[in-house]
Amino acid sequence: MTWPKADLDAVRRLHVLAAAVPGAVTAEALLPAPFDQVWAVAADLEGELPQYLPDVRSLRLTRVAGEQLEADARGYAGLRAHFDIVLRPGWCVMRSRFLLGAMAAVAEGDHTRFAFLTGAQLPGQRLVGPALGVLGRWAAPRVVARVGERVARRG
Amino acid sequence: MSDEAELTALVRTAQRGDGLAMARLIDVLAPAVGRWCGPIALQDAPDATQEALIAVFRGLKGLSDPAALFGWARSIAVREAVRVARRAARQRTVELAELPAPGDPLLAVDIADVLERLTPEHRAVLMLRELDGLDERTIAGLLDVPAGTVKSRLSRARRSFRKEWAR
Repeated sequence: MTWPKADLDAVRRLHVLAAAVPGAVTAEALLPAPFDQVWAVAADLEGELPQYLPDVRSLRLTRVAGEQLEADARGYAGLRAHFDIVLRPGWCVMRSRFLLGAMAAVAEGDHTRFAFLTGAQLPGQRLVGPALGVLGRWAAPRVVARVGERVARRG
Repeated sequence: MSDEAELTALVRTAQRGDGLAMARLIDVLAPAVGRWCGPIALQDAPDATQEALIAVFRGLKGLSDPAALFGWARSIAVREAVRVARRAARQRTVELAELPAPGDPLLAVDIADVLERLTPEHRAVLMLRELDGLDERTIAGLLDVPAGTVKSRLSRARRSFRKEWAR
């Protein structure tokens, strides 16, 4: 006897994470490209991420152990941040001392549903979360749009 | 470190607001929550699983004993699955009228088909007894209903199954 069971796809997981993180903001779009093409752009953290994440000038992976990664990022204002990362097909979570980012992708026919999350990782984040939420609401849809543009460019 | 110690550490870190720990905890909990929500919410199980996990994470800070995580999450998942299934059933009344009537030979002896004919509350009792092996008193406590109600729901659910398998 097989009981029905439900799988929680990556985009749904991202929405659960967003509900758990105070001030987290998400944006989502159905991109007109297959999953492999979208994820090839999203998961290229050293090459593509600085192209679609407006605040990041460069990112260098410092450790890769299965799906656990570490990276050092540099911003345009000279800020540096160390990130702990979980990366697997369709799912990426990045956390520094101050920031949390996540991406999720799920195939929908020959299109791909792509979602992005940005949030705070600060002591007292419940207080500053709403302020960062305003920034996130501005930035998150732009990141999703930029990923779509990069995918279209690479074809 | 034991699995239990690792889980305790993960829950504590997630309770402090660490997003990476929360993501790992979603990985740990999602299969179990999907298993609990599937038989109750059926085609709406992905929605139920998502809403149950959101409820779990919203209440996570209040969980004082991390060792109780799965039992606590199960009670939330069952409640959310029943709620989502009832809401969806209200929205689907027209479609439901088009489903084969009980006894229609078009209905295969598939567990999902039989579950479909039960109310979400009956499905919850059946899943907790047959899939998770809980006793009737524990189920009554978890669903906040009298033990007699659990017994009668279980009896009705089992009758439905026997009827289908006897065909």
